[in-house]
Amino acid sequence: MNGAALSTRLRSVRLQDFEVLHDIELQLQPARWTAIVGPNGAGKSTLLRALAGLIPADGEILLLGKPLHDWAPKQRARTLAWLGQNETGADDLTAHDVVMLGRLPHQAWLAAPSDADAQAVRDAMAQTQSWDWRQRRLSTLSGGERQRVLLARALAVQASVLMMDEPLAHLDPPHQADWIDIVRKLVARGQTVISVLHELNIALQANVLVVMAKGQVLHQGLASDAATHRALQQVFDHRLRIAQLDGQWLALPHTPASSGSMP
Amino acid sequence: MNHLRSSRGHVLPMLVLALISLATPLRAAGVQLHDDLGRITEWSSPPQRIITMLPSLTETVCELGACDKLVGVDRYSNYPEQVKTLPKLGGLDDSNIEAIVALRPDVVLAASSSRIGERLAGLGVKVVTLDTKSHEDVQRVLGKVGVLLGVADAQRVWRHIDAGVGAAAQSLPPEARGVLVYYEVDSAPYAAGESSFMGQTLKRLGARNIIPAAMGPFPKINPEFVVRANPQLIMIGQRHLAALYKRPGWEQIDALRKQHVCIFSPEESDVLTRPGPRMAQGAQIMASCLRTMSAAR
Amino acid sequence: MNQKPAVVLTLLLLASLALLALGVSVGSTGLDWSHDSSEMAHQILWQIRLPRSLGAWLAGALLGLSGAVAQGLFRNPLADPYLLGSSAGAGLGVALSMALIGTSVGANLWLQRLGLTGAAFAGTVGGVLLTLLLARGVEHTLRLLLAGVVVGVVLAAITSLLMLMQPDIMRTMQSFMLGATGFLSWSSVVIMSVALCLSLLVALGASRALDALSLGDATARSLGVRLSLVRVVLIAAFALATGTAVAQAGMIAFVGLVAPHLVRNYCSTTHGKLLLLSSCSGGVLLLGADILARGLLAPQELPVGIITAIIGGSYLLWLMHRATRRRQA
Repeated sequence: MNGAALSTRLRSVRLQDFEVLHDIELQLQPARWTAIVGPNGAGKSTLLRALAGLIPADGEILLLGKPLHDWAPKQRARTLAWLGQNETGADDLTAHDVVMLGRLPHQAWLAAPSDADAQAVRDAMAQTQSWDWRQRRLSTLSGGERQRVLLARALAVQASVLMMDEPLAHLDPPHQADWIDIVRKLVARGQTVISVLHELNIALQANVLVVMAKGQVLHQGLASDAATHRALQQVFDHRLRIAQLDGQWLALPHTPASSGSMP
Repeated sequence: MNHLRSSRGHVLPMLVLALISLATPLRAAGVQLHDDLGRITEWSSPPQRIITMLPSLTETVCELGACDKLVGVDRYSNYPEQVKTLPKLGGLDDSNIEAIVALRPDVVLAASSSRIGERLAGLGVKVVTLDTKSHEDVQRVLGKVGVLLGVADAQRVWRHIDAGVGAAAQSLPPEARGVLVYYEVDSAPYAAGESSFMGQTLKRLGARNIIPAAMGPFPKINPEFVVRANPQLIMIGQRHLAALYKRPGWEQIDALRKQHVCIFSPEESDVLTRPGPRMAQGAQIMASCLRTMSAAR
Repeated sequence: MNQKPAVVLTLLLLASLALLALGVSVGSTGLDWSHDSSEMAHQILWQIRLPRSLGAWLAGALLGLSGAVAQGLFRNPLADPYLLGSSAGAGLGVALSMALIGTSVGANLWLQRLGLTGAAFAGTVGGVLLTLLLARGVEHTLRLLLAGVVVGVVLAAITSLLMLMQPDIMRTMQSFMLGATGFLSWSSVVIMSVALCLSLLVALGASRALDALSLGDATARSLGVRLSLVRVVLIAAFALATGTAVAQAGMIAFVGLVAPHLVRNYCSTTHGKLLLLSSCSGGVLLLGADILARGLLAPQELPVGIITAIIGGSYLLWLMHRATRRRQA
């Protein structure tokens, strides 16, 4: 349509005979960080997976203006990178080998890794501070270290659109801050980041919020907009309040006792 | 005085009668048998309803003239003809207990590898365990079954069988003696050694077996061993012939180069492998093979 | 322990050569290094012992490859070459062909041409196809595995029925189930070499996809892997390798299961090298077991499947023991 990185008109998305999403119309702009938020069961992960083309969806999805299914698999893989929830397996591989898997879309069939591949892996692991233990097997890493390796794997693809589903699992605050940093740098370089986050305070750092509830998109708008904040409060049954601290927006749980002194 | 003499006259004959009745055990009336597991079983009169759970035992009972007393046999018994119409009661491992009990047998004859002994004993059925694996077993089992059936001279039957084997041996010309034989029981390959039943028959016919007695009755051998031993004659069941000639290295064996291979039909295999009263017939089958092959040399 | 793959490969190849030398020296006379130059000894060495040793290595390599493919495809360290109904199919093929011999002239002719090996191979492929049919395609791995279990159970029951009806095939079936390397000839060697090359090439071609699969279906798809195509191709390679090995050497336990674990324990590597190394270690395992089977009780032979079960089972036990100790430490 109009230069959107991803735009979609979904009639319905079903999972095992249960309709999880219905009547969704979205346009996600390039060079932006969009966070998809909403209560549990709103369908956030399902929406992201549908947008990535990983589950069948009834409707149309356009990636960079071209329908998703018209893309050749490898082309699409170079353009759209995915980081899923709870990725298990690959325990026997070293961290370096796992990150190198992210270069698959760029490698000719059975070709050895090129210099560009090695450089991309190095960059990705440097960004996530996992380069130092690249020779350790995944099974010997802690939850947080593992997550950083998997993130590096997604970064190594160097795709123009990066989709991440709950990427902050197991990450402690310093590494969460690192992650925000990485995303901001990617966006500054012109890449598009779309993430599903249940950590609202992190999500409020994004450029755009997509607020979902019960399988539909309630609101799409800038994260700093009041309308967006109102939508957030609405989907969470007004059990939270949005407040500002040092220029950052925060979502705080709201109980009768906590109608405190913050403006 | 008259009084005393008459009573003494009665006592003596009565004493003699008593002694005679004591000395004659329950022969005409009861039967007592020690089976191969050492169990002793008794019947008040010779059993009239008999079940056999092994083909060789079936054939033994029939050979002793009690075929009409059979009320049931195992599924593999197929000789003589008349047992084919009897109810089939399963094999050694999966005997049909219910059917056996329903036939109200006076005795069940089984092998020691069968598991039905205890079960049937618990149900009040009399089980006699007899093992027939060798030539000696055939004689012994004939004797015991003879006791069971109240047959007068089971040993006469044995002598007849034994003579038959001897006759088969006698019928062989000198050049048919001393032939080196390899008897293959199964294609793994399992061979029949000297100590097996077929091996004993071969020995009585004067043939030599490539498998010595020390290796047991049915060893699984390295096929290379057969090539090395280079038998002059191979005996094999029809089912297992398939790829004999294609085995690596076997084309050098004398028996295969001269095509001295005796292939037994399933019926012949039955006779050859069952340690029972048809062993004379089995010896004749083998003798005929030896004769033909030596003539063809 | 983390060796480089090249080191492990070299070790395995050296071990293979050493075992091959041992293999031609062990036979019905036990271990016998002095090879006299008589015609008979020469023939025994070239026509019997050498093809048998090579054949055992090749059969082990096929099983090792098949096991590695199965473990990668289903992401399950307990997967082995006998999944997806392959073993039950092979057993039924053999039982059927033996039961039908002698029933009619036509059957006899056909069966002579096919041979027991052809029947076993056809049975393996048939079992896998039946599983694919039952699972309605390769979309869901769980469904595939379940369908394989169902097919396995049903075909095994039919085979048992056949054995009951024709009890004289029981002993042959038993020796087939326990492995039969005794009659491996030069033609077996050729057939297995071709099959090994083919399935290795195909599996290596899909090895990158297997690596991607280890991160999960979704990620693999996002990396551009055509999942269904890859699964079909890998299952075909798997069926070819298992079918050929089983047809030539019977159903040998544990080799396909243990070979990839052996490799993974000593070096962590991507699937490309893992597949090759698993083949080599499978070959070493089976050749070693075959030598033991021939040599321990010469001239009698133990079924090679019993030896592989003992070796394989003990090795797995040792691995588990080490893993629990490491966890407790």
